[in-house]
Order: sequence, then C-alpha cells, then structure tokens
Amino acid sequence: MEAPAISFVAYVRRTPLLLFLLVYTLVTGGPFLWVATMSLRTTPEIFAAPYAFPSRFHWEKFAEAWTKSNYGTYFWNSMIVVVTAVLLLTVIGAMGAHCLARYRFRGSRLVRFVILSGMILPPQLMILSLFQILRDFGLYNTLTGLIVVYVAGHLAMTMYILEGFFAQIPQDLFDAARMDGYSDFEIFWRITLPIGVPALFTTVTLNFIILWNEFLYAVVLLTDDDKRTLPLGVMHFMGSHQLDVGMLATGLMITIAPIILLYACFSETMIKGMTAGAVR
Amino acid sequence: MTLRARLLKPFGRRQASEVDARRVAPGTLILFLAPALLVYAGFTLYPVLRTFYNSVHTMRPHGVVEYVGLANFSALVGVDPVFWKAVGNTAIFTIVATIADVLGGLLLALCLFSRPPFAKLLRVVWFTPVLMSYVVVGIVWVWIYDYDWGLANLVLRSIGLGAFEQSWLGDPRTALWSVMATHIWKWLGFNMIIFLAALSALPGEVLGAAELDNCGWLAKLVYIVIPMLRPTIVNLLVLSFVGKMMIFDLIWIMTGGGPLWSTETVSTYVYKRAFDWNTFDLGYPSAIAVLWFIIILAFVMLMTRLLRQRDKLEF
Repeated sequence: MEAPAISFVAYVRRTPLLLFLLVYTLVTGGPFLWVATMSLRTTPEIFAAPYAFPSRFHWEKFAEAWTKSNYGTYFWNSMIVVVTAVLLLTVIGAMGAHCLARYRFRGSRLVRFVILSGMILPPQLMILSLFQILRDFGLYNTLTGLIVVYVAGHLAMTMYILEGFFAQIPQDLFDAARMDGYSDFEIFWRITLPIGVPALFTTVTLNFIILWNEFLYAVVLLTDDDKRTLPLGVMHFMGSHQLDVGMLATGLMITIAPIILLYACFSETMIKGMTAGAVR
Repeated sequence: MTLRARLLKPFGRRQASEVDARRVAPGTLILFLAPALLVYAGFTLYPVLRTFYNSVHTMRPHGVVEYVGLANFSALVGVDPVFWKAVGNTAIFTIVATIADVLGGLLLALCLFSRPPFAKLLRVVWFTPVLMSYVVVGIVWVWIYDYDWGLANLVLRSIGLGAFEQSWLGDPRTALWSVMATHIWKWLGFNMIIFLAALSALPGEVLGAAELDNCGWLAKLVYIVIPMLRPTIVNLLVLSFVGKMMIFDLIWIMTGGGPLWSTETVSTYVYKRAFDWNTFDLGYPSAIAVLWFIIILAFVMLMTRLLRQRDKLEF
C-alpha cells in the first residue's frame, strides 16, 4: 500500500522533525569531518582558524606521521594483532560452536554454560591477574600475549553468535552427509563452514572492529613503544610534551581510515555485526 | 569411495551409530573443542580465579604474598573515601546515561521509522560513532570541550550565551556530565539500530487499528509501541547498564579520573591502584574488582527479574 502524497501542510508540520534530523546528522558526522580537515592542515593553521577548510592539502603530513611519528609501526602492530586474533577466533570459535550445535555428548551443557558465561565477565576482573599470568609465561609486553588474551576474551561472544546460527542448519543435511561417508572433519569443512558464511562474516566484522578499537588490555599488557597498537600510539602522542594537534589529527585519521573504508563498502554488514550480540 | 561406502554401510554391524550424525567419536570431539577450552581455561577462567585469590591477599615487594582474609574488603568499604566517591560517580553515570541511551535511541529510531527523506543514509551516518574507538572519540571531544578553541564554547558564544562558557572537563562540577554526554553521543546509534529492528518487526495491524481509532502519536507511543517493545527495552537497559558500570576507556582518555576525583569511576580507580600508585599490591585492586563484579551481577539478576516478571503477569 503506497502512502498518499504528502501535502504541503504535512510538510510544514514535519519541518521541526526534518530540522532535528539535519542537526543530529551534523552532530554525529561533523566531528569526523572536522578531524579529516584537520588531518590535512598544519598546527599553526589549525590554531589560526580551527574550523576552516584546508587552504592547501598537506598530504605530506600522512607520510610524516607514518615514518617520523611512528604511526607506521603502530598501524602494522594493530594489523598483526587484530588479523591474527580474528583468524584464530573464527577458526577456534567455529570448531567449538560446531561441536556444541551439532553433537550430543556428555557434559555438553556444562561446556556451553562455562564458555558462554564468559560473556558477562567484566574485563576488570581478569586484567589484573592477566598481567601476572602473562609475566609468568613470558608473554607480557609481547604481541603474542595480547593476541592470546584477545582470543580468550572474545571467544564467548563469537561462539554464542556462531552456535545460534549453526544450530539452525537442518539436521537432515548432516544425516545425509554421514550416509555419504563424510568424516566429521569433512562435515565441518564442507557443510557447516560454507553454510555458516553469513554468521562467520558477522563475527569477523564484530571482532575486527572491537579489537581494532581495544584500549584497556593493550594499555596494561604492552609497554614498549615499538609494540604499541594504534590506540596506544595515539594516546601516547596525546600525552607527549608539546602537543602537536595537527599531527595528532593525522594519527586519528590513520586510526579511523580502515574502519571508515570498510564502513563505506559494507555498512549494512557492519551495522549487523556490531549489533549481533544484542538482538536475542 | 563415496559410492562404496554408501553401498556397504547398510550392511555394516555398527550401522545405527555410524549413521547418526549427532554422535561423535570422543577423539574427534576433543580435537574440535580443545583449542577453545584451553584458551578459555588458561586466559579467562584461570585469571578470574586468580583475581578472587588475589583479593584475599596482600602482595608486598620481592614476591611476598600474605593472606589477609577479608581485610581488603573491609578497608575498602570502611575507610576508603576515594572508593565511595568512585561508586557515587559510577552510579550517577550508569543511571543517567543508561536512561538517556535507551530513551534517546528509541526517539531516534522513531524519527527514522516515520520514513523521512534519506532515512537510509541518516541511519548509516548516525551509527558512525559506534564504530569509532574510545581513543578517537575521547580526543575529538577533549578538543570540542576545549576552553579557548573548542566547539562547545564557540557555539555558546555565537548564540549569545557566552556567560555559560566553561572549561567543561576542567571544572569538577561539569566534568562528569561532559564525559557522560560524549558517552551517550557514542552509543545512541547502537540503541537506535536495535529499536529500529524491533519497530519494523511490530505487527502493522495493531498500529493501523490505533490509527483508525484516532489515536494520537503520543498515546500510540505510550500505550502501544512501548509495551510491545518491552523485551527489547529490558535487553537494552541491562546491556547498557552493564557496559556503564564498567566504564573505563573514555574517562581514562578524557580526564583520567580528575579533576579532584570528580570523574573517578570504580574501573579507573582499580587501574590506578594496580598500575599507577607503584604499590605493587594487586590484592587491594583485585578486591575492588571482585566486589564490583558481585554488585553488577546482583543488579543484573534483580533487573531481569523485576522487569521480566511484569511480562508474565500481563499475559
């Protein structure tokens, strides 16, 4: 049923609403556009007129940030940590979720309860002793340690989302596969994973965004400058002696660029991913 | 191979168990589950248990660990004014920001639900802050709140309210509220998306019937939409509540708990006691973390109980 054409009166009545929509759009999107303009301007220019459009685009600032201000190192550290952790999470989580969703075995309810209860554990409850534990294992202040902690911390949510999806795959499919002589591994590899691609996509985006932005674990578990991830690098820059606002804005832009790029291409997937854990 | 298996299987002796795809050999099961269980046990369960263990101990320099019973807890509750200040701040933050988040998210969702022009684009733009890290959001808002060149004061001056300009994060009276505003700004889009999904799932007939009955939009909202969205509202309240009780990143980045403990929250205090005070005692902060976890858990159970039970009575 098509809505009738909106009359002039209705338009006038909706003006406050439309005005509000415009203002709120500026409020949410504006700050990022502002950072984008600042990232292309030098600090003296910014202090002369903080909200002006760049008179000249200083693209060289990105090269300078990348090499001189160490953002290149931070960026690759972030990439290594996040990509490895997301890969591990996907593989380990999918294997575990497959077991919980597919097989009947003794203790399955206990395993499910124990792992999924990890979703309600606040990070503060683990961070203090993780600091000790990683030191004991010689993993403190290493990217490996951070990766392992990230995998452990996000396993519960990953398995929760994947199991919910895997459990909906019709059992007939698996019975038929078993009849055809598929091994358990083949069933996982050739049925669960291909059919589960949408759910895997969701957890990959969710984990990628959360880990790319993660701050608390990183700030506690990493200390060396050459091991810092992007959020730590930016934060370190913020706290340094003479704050170079222009260069910091460039750093912020480097931090948000991958997310913005992904968001521009896959906005629906990313919105779905970020909200996946909340819709029950 | 496949064909042979298919031909031979029905004649095999252990036919039933082999064909039942819900059964699995223990070895395979272990192979599939072991990585998850190991990582989880080593880096989630063990740390939690160790934090509980630490909370009843005091760690002195040179690795001396001393059992102190509940002394940490009694010191915390009895004689630690900073802890109570942090609890107060966290409580204000949690209550106000949770309500603002859920109500604001609902209003934004209703705006988009009324099918304004460019609804799809607006939805994407409004969600952007959710995707940004606290570090980015925090730094940008520190600039926005800057006394000299920040946007907040600039806007006030330009509309003739220059009298209200202040050092938003530097004044103990406004710091907590300023950080809160930023936090709400970041998360509104999240709540909006969830509400939008719930609104689209509402049965259209009910709203149509209400329209026929000449029901005003406010009455429609209060008597029809909100009751029908109740499960979503409860979920978001709990989710938002838990997140805010643990708030750390944004506060740490924007104010570091200052000025004068005016934005100190329980989580920032835990961090300070553990890593900033150079006392090397992880016992005391662990006690804070344990106590706080128990309180959060109790509140979540209470909230779900209170809010969900009404559901049962209604039907």
